[in-house]
Amino acid sequence: MTTGISLVRENAESMRPPRSLWVSFSLGRPLGVPNDAQFQHRVIAAALNLLERDRGPILEDYPVNAPEVSRETVPACPVSFPKADNSSNWQSRLAGELSSLKPWYELGRRRRGGRTLACVSDLSIEENLHKLGEYLDLNRLPIDELHWFKQAIEDAKVFYLEAMTAQPGNHDQMQVDQTLWRETQLGAGLFLFYKGFRAHPTLHPFARLILPRTAVRGTTG
Amino acid sequence: MVRATDLPDYEREHLVGKNLPPLGPHCWTKHAKPLKEMRVALITTAGIHFQDDESFDFTDSSFRPIPGEEDSSNLIMSHSSANFDRIGFAEDVNLVFPIDRFKELADVGTIGSLASVHYSFMGAGLMPEAYEQSTDQVAHLLKQDQIDAVFLTPV
Repeated sequence: MTTGISLVRENAESMRPPRSLWVSFSLGRPLGVPNDAQFQHRVIAAALNLLERDRGPILEDYPVNAPEVSRETVPACPVSFPKADNSSNWQSRLAGELSSLKPWYELGRRRRGGRTLACVSDLSIEENLHKLGEYLDLNRLPIDELHWFKQAIEDAKVFYLEAMTAQPGNHDQMQVDQTLWRETQLGAGLFLFYKGFRAHPTLHPFARLILPRTAVRGTTG
Repeated sequence: MVRATDLPDYEREHLVGKNLPPLGPHCWTKHAKPLKEMRVALITTAGIHFQDDESFDFTDSSFRPIPGEEDSSNLIMSHSSANFDRIGFAEDVNLVFPIDRFKELADVGTIGSLASVHYSFMGAGLMPEAYEQSTDQVAHLLKQDQIDAVFLTPV
């Protein structure tokens, strides 16, 4: 028998799993709040309670929202980046951004006891950004290295996010995402990869793993 | 997440576009024992795994076993989707894969015991039929582990 959590109520309504608890939390956060064991236990208890019902399918709504970061405490510009020298090439610009973020990334990693998600690729973040910069400088798509490219951009994105959220202050997830996509050289470079893959006759599905839908809408209208 | 009706048009259309009819005939297994006697496994579609495991590909119907005795803080994520928050998972594995919470529930006797192995899929880019072979295999493994109930988490 199964029970579980649903993040998109409409999907659970249509597929009708035997027991499902719909929660209003953000995608990526099915238990609601990180590092809050009591909050997580309450969500789990609500889903486990469904195991003892006599009839189904059951789709129950969890009545509690995750607490939001107060907008009043979030600075308008949550993360600071040095101005890029647009006369330089992509490799230099990405390397410059990397060196400004590295101390924050290391700080965040130390706070988490060494934990990081930016380690899927076999290459280091320096090597990955260097290669991404090379492709951008050559105006080429990495069509012969898609496996590497997937791992490299996942590591790069999460490296930036881990570094940005290690800076002081309460970070609103949406604002941090917007900063990544609108104010960084990495965001600008990934948008070029996105446009290149989207126009490719056979590899266009790959575009969707590069940018989130919110960034695509934000940059293309 | 918030109801799809509260989202921008492009996001609502994308998510509601994933609505599907039920998978096969309705099935219902009535509980045969109380929760405090159940053996429970976790299954997630979050595309998580240990660093030494093969990462998930762009589309990928395979699964990764997650042994319960290994240090969950070493779990990483190679999910293809760019459309969800990963920083919460970086902060706390339990936000996506509540293994420590379930260990606590087993310790205090709320559940009977935890599986020896849990399982991770990557839910992206494929229709449910593509997962049939892998899910059959996992169902068999769950039976071998004498699992009574499975707790499912998306991402």
